[in-house]
Formats: sequence, structure tokens, C-alpha cells
Amino acid sequence: MNCSDCKDKLDRYVDRELNNTEVLELKLHLEGCPPCADHYEFQAHLKRLVKVSCDRDKVPAAFREKLRQILL
Amino acid sequence: MAESPARTAFAEEALTHLDTLYRGALRLTRDPDQAQDLVQEAYLRALRYQHSYQPGTNMKAWLFAIMRNLFWDRFKGSRKEDVSLDDVGEFVLYDKLRDEGAKPEADVLDKLAASEVVAAVEKLPPLHREVVLLVDVEGFSYKDAAQTLGVPIGTVMSRLHRARQQLQRSLYDYAVESGIVRASGTSQVPQQ
Ligand SMILES: [Zn+2]
Repeated sequence: MNCSDCKDKLDRYVDRELNNTEVLELKLHLEGCPPCADHYEFQAHLKRLVKVSCDRDKVPAAFREKLRQILL
Repeated sequence: MAESPARTAFAEEALTHLDTLYRGALRLTRDPDQAQDLVQEAYLRALRYQHSYQPGTNMKAWLFAIMRNLFWDRFKGSRKEDVSLDDVGEFVLYDKLRDEGAKPEADVLDKLAASEVVAAVEKLPPLHREVVLLVDVEGFSYKDAAQTLGVPIGTVMSRLHRARQQLQRSLYDYAVESGIVRASGTSQVPQQ
């Protein structure tokens, strides 16, 4: 695998959508290629950041209770 | 009013996915009151169509699909919002920051405020926003996201790719505006 293949697969690697063989190939490349490894860390971090930022919003307790009243 | 035990059990299980539905509705409508209305309506519809849910399949995906379909029914007509993203060319935030001499992770990602990341997500057109919500926020597989949205997996992947490009561009713009990075080049990290 070269850096260009690695870049093409980075999204799917971050999203855990590669098959086992592809994962092994990609991991091998990342171990020997600090720039790609650094890029991978960045993309993974960005994905976590999106999740954590959006996760901060919690369901208002009053709304949760209202729904329970309606549905149960 | 006495509900049947089966209906109650179904409702209980459905309510375990309330966080996902509410977060999704909040990001789609960008308004807490509208999000609550949407979620409530989605739950009522889910109970009404309980028979169409196949036990053992992904209930979270099923509920999300009901919610986002309601969203599109309700808001499609009233909003002239763009539903597609112009192809603005490849934008890779990492490369951009590297080229400008910043350490992308330490200098930039660590300094972005959560509110700015949410703002960047909410700036995406809804068709692209919902893919980010499913895959990045809720951890759906491409396959589950495709099923939820009623599109092929390839469409999920292309929308996700476009969405991420746009998201990274927005975050970059914010980073420049707020002085986290200088458009001309070097990052502004206090030297201490
Ligand atoms: Zn490489």
C-alpha cells in the first residue's frame, strides 16, 4: 500500500468499514509511515470531536417525563 | 388508560433510544421546541406502526428513519434550504494546516470549542447533516445509515465525504477568524 491508497481508505478505516485484510494492510502502512499515521490520528480525533460536541445536548428531563406520560 | 403489556414493552424499548432521536431532531431542526415536537410525533407514529417493526432488527435505525422522514415531510415545503452541496473541490483540513506550518491536532483541534463544531455541523445542508449525525455522532455503520436513509451505501459514502469536506472547511474558516491559525501561515500559539 502506498500513501495515496492509504489516504483513499482513511475515512473507511476511521469509520471501521474496512475488511480485516484491508485493516491489516492499512495498519502495516501506518506503522511505517509517520505522516499517514499523523493524518489518521487527526481524522480520528476530528470524528471524536464531532461526536463529543453533539453529545453534549441532553434530553430535557421535563420532556422525557412528558413522553413517558404520553406513551406508557 | 390501560395500555396492553406488549405496547408498553415496545414503548419502553423505544424510549431507550430517546437520546439518539432527540439529538438527531435537535441537529436537524436546530430548535429545541421543534425538536421536541418532532420527537413526540415520531414516537406516536412509531407506536401506531408498531406492527411494521420486525423484532430483532435495529430499532434505533427504525425510529430514526421515522423521525427523519417526518422532518423531511414537514420541512421540505417550508424551507428553501439548499439540499445539496456544491462541489467545491477537495479540502483536506489536515493538509491545509500542515502546509501552513501548524501542528493540526495539538494547535487546532484541541482549541476548537464544542459550540463551533456543532455550528459547523448545523451549517451543513440537511441531507449531508443527517449522514454525519448517523455515522459520526450515533456510530451507525454505512449499511445501517443507508437503510435508515433509504439510499444506497455509495450515496452514504459520497454524502459523508462531501459533508466532511464542508465541515473541515467551516472549521478552518472559524480557526482563521478566531485567530487559532493565521490564514497566511504559522499558527498563533503563545510561546511559553
Ligand atoms: Zn503513507
